[in-house]
Amino acid sequence: MLILRYLFYVLIFPGALFTVLVGWLLAGLDRKVIARMQRRIGPPVLQPVYDFFKLVGKENIIPAQANRTAYKMAPFISFVSLSVIMLFIPIFGFTAVNGVADLIVILYLITIPGVALIVGGSSSGSPYGAVGISREMVTMMSYELPFVLALLAVAKKAGGDVLVFNLTDIGEWQVMNGCMAFHWSMIPAALAFLLVIPAEVGTQPFDVAEAETEICEGPLCEYSGAPLAVFKLSTHMKMCVMSALFTALFFGGIRTGYVVTDVILFLAICVLVTLVCITTVHAVTARLRIQHLFKFYWKYVSVLALISLALVWLGA
Amino acid sequence: MIQHFPVLSVMVLFFSAFLIEIVGKKEILRNVIAFLAVTASLVMLACLIPSVMIDGQVISYWMGGWAPESGYAIGIGYEVDSLSLLFALLGITAYWLSCVYSFGYMKGKQNLGHYYTLFLMLAGASVGFFLTGDIFNMFIMMEIVTFSAVALTAANTDKLTAIEGAFKYLVNCSIGSSMMLAGIALLYMNCHTLNLAQLSAILPGSFNSTTLLAFALILTGFCVESAMIPFHPSFVDAHTVAPSSVSMILSGMVLKLGVYGIIRLSYIIFRVIDTSAIQVMLTLIGTVTMFIGVTMALAQHDFKRLLAFHSVSQLGYIIAAAGLCTTLGLNASLYHAVNHTLFKGLLFLCAGAVIHSTGTSDLDSLGGLSKRMPKTCICFVIGAFSISGLPPFNGFVSKWMIYQAVYEKAMQTGNFFYVVVTVTALVVSVMTLASFVKVLHSVFFGQLRKEHEDVKEVSPIMLIPMGIMSFLCIFTGIFYREFDRVFINSAVTSAFDNIDYVDGMMGDGYSVTYGLAGLTGGNLEFSYWNPYVWLSLFLMVFAAAVLVTLIMGRTTGRTLESGEDYDSAYGTGDLSVDFRGQTHESGDPEEKYAVFFSGEKAEYSHAGGSDLFWGFKYNWHRYYEVLQGLHSGSVNDYSIYAVIMISMLCIFMYIFMR
Repeated sequence: MLILRYLFYVLIFPGALFTVLVGWLLAGLDRKVIARMQRRIGPPVLQPVYDFFKLVGKENIIPAQANRTAYKMAPFISFVSLSVIMLFIPIFGFTAVNGVADLIVILYLITIPGVALIVGGSSSGSPYGAVGISREMVTMMSYELPFVLALLAVAKKAGGDVLVFNLTDIGEWQVMNGCMAFHWSMIPAALAFLLVIPAEVGTQPFDVAEAETEICEGPLCEYSGAPLAVFKLSTHMKMCVMSALFTALFFGGIRTGYVVTDVILFLAICVLVTLVCITTVHAVTARLRIQHLFKFYWKYVSVLALISLALVWLGA
Repeated sequence: MIQHFPVLSVMVLFFSAFLIEIVGKKEILRNVIAFLAVTASLVMLACLIPSVMIDGQVISYWMGGWAPESGYAIGIGYEVDSLSLLFALLGITAYWLSCVYSFGYMKGKQNLGHYYTLFLMLAGASVGFFLTGDIFNMFIMMEIVTFSAVALTAANTDKLTAIEGAFKYLVNCSIGSSMMLAGIALLYMNCHTLNLAQLSAILPGSFNSTTLLAFALILTGFCVESAMIPFHPSFVDAHTVAPSSVSMILSGMVLKLGVYGIIRLSYIIFRVIDTSAIQVMLTLIGTVTMFIGVTMALAQHDFKRLLAFHSVSQLGYIIAAAGLCTTLGLNASLYHAVNHTLFKGLLFLCAGAVIHSTGTSDLDSLGGLSKRMPKTCICFVIGAFSISGLPPFNGFVSKWMIYQAVYEKAMQTGNFFYVVVTVTALVVSVMTLASFVKVLHSVFFGQLRKEHEDVKEVSPIMLIPMGIMSFLCIFTGIFYREFDRVFINSAVTSAFDNIDYVDGMMGDGYSVTYGLAGLTGGNLEFSYWNPYVWLSLFLMVFAAAVLVTLIMGRTTGRTLESGEDYDSAYGTGDLSVDFRGQTHESGDPEEKYAVFFSGEKAEYSHAGGSDLFWGFKYNWHRYYEVLQGLHSGSVNDYSIYAVIMISMLCIFMYIFMR
C-alpha cells in the first residue's frame, strides 16, 4: 500500500504527470498572453502539448562527435530531477514527502536540471553547445547569489533565533503569522525571487544561454527528436517548479481546508506568478548580453534580496 | 597486543622505507614491500576501530616504558583517541590507494627506489603525526613530512618547474615549522612539559601572555601546513608539478595535517575555541580562503593547478566549520575533511590518468577524451559532482551540514558575520561547480583533438584506486548516517571532552587535580533529507522514464550515429554533420574564429579551457588583476605574505585574547 501511495505521488500527483501538465498549462498561457500583449492572436493554449508530440515523432540524430551516453541521458536526468523536486514543495497544507527536504536541498536539486543541460550541450561536441554551456554556467552563478540571499531571508524570518530551513515549518509559520509576501520587510526578497525565476527558466531577457538568433539554442543546438522534446518539456516543468516554490515560500499561509480547493488556488497563484515574472518581462524586454546579465543580478537583484535580509536581521 | 598497534603501524612504514632503499633496484620486490607495508599499517589501524571508535577507549603507549613520574611525562608517548584515529585511518587509506596507483603511474620512471622510500617515509610521518601524544614529536613528524614531500615534488628531476615548485614548498613549510618550533620552545619554558595530555591539563588554567604567543605561533605553523590564506600560493605551485600520485597525497592528505593540528590545538590543548574572538578569527580565515581559492581556480587553465586551488578552497570550508565550536560545526568539518580526501584524491588520480595517456594537463589543448577514456570520465564526473556538492554524492552531505551549522551559529549569536559566511559558502559552491563544468567540458567532452585520436584508457592497476574512491564518494554520500555515527561522532565527542584524553595518558584522576571540564557544543541535531527515500524515488521515476523512451523510441524514426550515415542516407554530401573538418588543421587562430562565427563549411571551435566563463571574468577583471599580481610566483613575495600574516595573528591575539 505504501509503495502504491509513493508510486502515485511520484508518477501522478504531485510528481511527474502533475508537473508536466501544469508546465504545459503555464507555457501555453505564457505564449497566448504574450501574443495578446503584442497584438497577435497567438497559438492555442495547448500548443506546447502539440509541439511535444510532434518532436517525439521526429527523427533522432546523434552527432558523430557526441558522447552518446551522456548525450542521451542528460534530458532524462533533467526530467526526473524536476519531477522529484515537486514532491518536496508543499502545496499549501499538502506535502507528499514530509520532513526530508528543506531550502538548501531544494536549492541544490534545482541546479541539477541546469547541470544536465550543460552536460548534454557539452557532450554534443558542438561549438554552439560550448558557447551555450559557458553562458548557462555564468547565468547560474549570476542568479545563485540573490537566490541564496532571498532564501536565507525567508529562513530567518520564519525561524527567529532557531534554525528553520524546513519548507513545511515555513508554511506553518505563515499560517500563524500571515503570508511572507504580506510582511513589508520581505517584499524586496519576493521581488528578487521573482526576478530570479526568468533566469532559472531561461526566458527573455535572460535566455542568453539558448539565444536562438545568435547561437542556435546553444546547448540544444544538436538535439532533435525525443531528447529535444524532453528538454523542452523540462523548461516548462521548471516554470511549474519555480512558481510553485515561490508560492510555497511567499504565499504558503493559505489554507482552505480541502485539498482540491488548495490545489486550485495554488495553481491560480502559480499562473499569476508566471504571467507577472515571465510573460510580462518577456514582452517588454530584449535579450541581455551575458556580462550585463551577471552585473544585473549581482548588483541590483542581490541588493534587493540583501535589503530584506538586513531588515529581517534588524528585527523588522 | 592492541596497544602496540599504533606504534607498530608507524614503525612498519619507516622500516620498510629503509628496506626499499636496500633492494631498490629490484622492481617486483620493491613494489611488494611497499604494498605490504601500507597494507599492514592499514590493517593494524583498522583493528583499532572497535575499541577506540565504538567503545570510546583511549589507547596510550609509552616508548621504552617511560611512564610519567609523579605527574610529569618525560618520555615520548603515543596516544590514540577517536580524533587521531579518524585522521590516521583517512591518511593510510589515501596512502594505500596512492601506492597502488603509483605501481601503474610511475612505471618506467627513473629512481623509483628513492620514490618509494620517500613515499613510505611520508606515509609513516603522517600517521605518526596523527597518533603521537607529544608536541615535539609532532614537530619532528611534520618536518619529515615536509622534506619527503619536497623531494617527492621534485621527483621529475628533468622538469625545471618541479624543482622550482619543490623549492617554494620547502621555503614556505620551513617558515611554518620555525614558527611552530618557537611556539613549542615557549610552551616548554612555561609548562616544563611537551606531552599533549599534560599540556592540555595545565594550559587552560594558566593562560598568560607567553602561552598566548606560543598559541599564535603554533597556530600559524598549522595554518601554513593547511594552506590557509596567504600561505597557499607555494602549495598550489608544488601540487601542480608533483607526480599525480604524490599530488593526490599532498593535496588530499598532507593538508589535513594542518587541519588536525588546528583542531587538536584549539579544542584540546589550549581550549581557547570557546572564546568568540578565536571562533570569528578561524571562520574568517576559512571564509576568505574558500573564496580566494575558488575564484583563482576559475581562472586556471591547467588541470592540476585548478584542482590544487580547489583544495585550498575546500580547506577553507573545513577550517571555517571547525571554528564554529558547535557539535554540528565540528561534525561537518570532520566529515568534509574525510570527503575532501576522497574526492580530491579521486580527481587528482583522474588528472594523473589524463596526463599519463595524453602527456599534457593543459585544458586548452585537451578535449573529447570521454570516448577514448570512458572509465576515467565516469570517475571524474563522480568526483566533480562530489566536490560541487550535488546530491546524492558525499560533498552534498558535508556542505549541507556546514551551511546548517554556520546559519545556526548566526541565529544563536545574532552575529551578521556568520550570515556572510553562509552566503559565501553557498556561492563558492556554485563557483566550484562552474569550474568543474569547465574541466569536464574541456577535457572529456567537446571535440576530440587530432593528436589524441589514438589515446588509450589507462591500465587496470590505475583504474582500481579510482574505482574504490568513486565507490567511497557515493557510499559516504548515501549511507551518511551510519558513517557519521561510527567515525565522525566519536571523533567530535573526543574533541569536545578532553578529560578522557588527559586521564588516558597521565593516569586516572589526573584531570580532576586541574579541575578540567569538557567543552559544550550543543546537541548534534541535524535534519537532513533522507537519501533512501530520495534515491528510491529517483530510481522509480528513472525507470519510468526509461520505459517511456523504450516504448516511444521503437516507433519513431531512426537514430543516426554518425555523419557518414547521414550522408549515405540522404545523399547530401555537402552537408557534413562532422564538425572536425580540414580548416582547423592550418592552425591559424583567426581563421578558426572566422569560420566559427560565420558558421559555414566545417566548423571548429574548442571554446573551452580558459575561454569559458569570460562573461564572469569580464565583470571581475579588476579583482583578477589584483589577484594575478599577488600570485606572482616569486617565493620572496610569498614569504613576505607569510610574515605579514604571522604578525597580524600575533597582534590579533594580543588585542582580543588578553
